[in-house]
Amino acid sequence: MSLRLVVNGEDRVSRAEPLTPLVDVLRDEFHLTGAKVACREGFCGACTVHIDGQPVVSCLVPLGMVEGREVRTVESLAAAGELSPLQRIMEEHDVVQCGMCFPGILMVLTSFFREHPRAERGEIKVALVGNICRCTGYERLVDAAVALAKRS
Amino acid sequence: MPGQNGERFHAATSLTDAIAALADRGSAGAALAGATWIMRAPLRHERRDLSYVAISKIDELRRLDILDREISIGACVTHAELASSLGSLPECRALAQAAVNSANPAVRNVATIGGNLCASAFAAADLVPALICLDAELEIEGAKGSERMTVKRFLEVRTGIGPDRLVRRVIVPRTARRSAHIRLPLRKAGDYPVAIVSLAATLNPTGVVESARVAVGSVEPVARRWEQLETSLVGHSLDPRRAAEQAERFCGDFLGREGVEAPGWYRVKVLPSLVRRAVLALQEQS
Ligand SMILES: Cc1cc2nc3c(=O)[nH]c(=O)nc-3n(C[C@H](O)[C@H](O)[C@H](O)COP(=O)(O)OP(=O)(O)OC[C@H]3O[C@@H](n4cnc5c(N)ncnc54)[C@H](O)[C@@H]3O)c2cc1C
Ligand code: FES
Ligand code: FES
Repeated sequence: MSLRLVVNGEDRVSRAEPLTPLVDVLRDEFHLTGAKVACREGFCGACTVHIDGQPVVSCLVPLGMVEGREVRTVESLAAAGELSPLQRIMEEHDVVQCGMCFPGILMVLTSFFREHPRAERGEIKVALVGNICRCTGYERLVDAAVALAKRS
Repeated sequence: MPGQNGERFHAATSLTDAIAALADRGSAGAALAGATWIMRAPLRHERRDLSYVAISKIDELRRLDILDREISIGACVTHAELASSLGSLPECRALAQAAVNSANPAVRNVATIGGNLCASAFAAADLVPALICLDAELEIEGAKGSERMTVKRFLEVRTGIGPDRLVRRVIVPRTARRSAHIRLPLRKAGDYPVAIVSLAATLNPTGVVESARVAVGSVEPVARRWEQLETSLVGHSLDPRRAAEQAERFCGDFLGREGVEAPGWYRVKVLPSLVRRAVLALQEQS
């Protein structure tokens, strides 16, 4: 059985089993290794991608559910080789440490800022409750996100 | 065993198609809605070798209709959709709060109300006590027709409703009540609640409680009403301290479940505080 989906704007076909977690198809079959696998439980957010524009944890999405849908991974944020404003501000504030959590954080904040471009600090923290970061202590990354909200 | 045509995964296009596919598979099949519970089966050392019938693309199951006398919620409406559609309705506050505070934003975008009700081994489901306190009912659909029942009844029979039947929709009556959903996670967000109190009450013009529903979730394996406490709230005005004292008196009603995140005694011990906060929340709604 083969299954069609659109990944970062390109038509793709996968032959994996329909219950295969989407993150495994992205990483192992399509070699898009931006989304990370840490807990496989929906708790850490490292595997977050967008499906039809909404952030979801791709470790819990079976491939069969994304047939014909549009998936975007962190690789799509700088598709033309230019960082997105969110990526740029994270770099300016020197936020990233090991980077394991970052693809998920970028995908969550990208969709969050689309709907709440001028979000307050508290709202940004609430938006990030599903993203665990073991390195940064969060404050620096929230500072960067607040700075982006202030610019818009 | 897969369905007759050998599929391990069938994306149903209509309710009729889903019910036929489930009937075909019998005990070897199961519905798959948001999949956030099913995909974690291996972590719970459970089987995931069933043949799944995906129901989340069925338009009818994704509808949420706010009618004059009731709200009809299709089984595949997500926690996120519930929160955004019901947030402005005062009579449904408990359900909106349950939806918006459960899990995390990315999970709320896919987990469904039907999955929350049907995951029978999931004691900490937020939507279940909220629905109990709002006197919600369910419609179950199968090859032999549909049946309507209260959430309480559904919780008693859900493990035996049969593999060829589906929760089709949830019906919440619209009445002039106040309601609140108070949950205690150990961290501020992200983990399962240790205990949940959902409260709904109708008040007379002088502020005296005419009817009350209290539902407790996550303390025992299955959420249930706290009838003794309900009776003691009726006939009095909303008084958080008094309500907590009454809760303290009746706490012996519960036998807390043991779990890695909290011991059983702790789940029961926190109930009076949650009741106090729930009554306070109702007091603040005018
Ligand atoms: C990290 C994490 C944290 C979470 N925290 C919370 C929380 O704090 N509070 C909370 O309430 N929830 C929480 N959840 C969600 C919850 O655990 C369940 O995963 C979710 O509610 C199940 O919904 P689903 O649509 O994904 O169900 P699925 O996984 O698709 O199905 C669950 C079960 O229900 C059956 N089923 C589904 N729909 C129907 C139907 N219409 N008719 C008959 N049977 C059906 C399936 O066969 C299966 O047995 C959390 C989930 C994750 C991943
Ligand atoms: S790996 Fe998916 S949420 Fe942790
Ligand atoms: S930067 Fe290492 S986990 Fe977040």
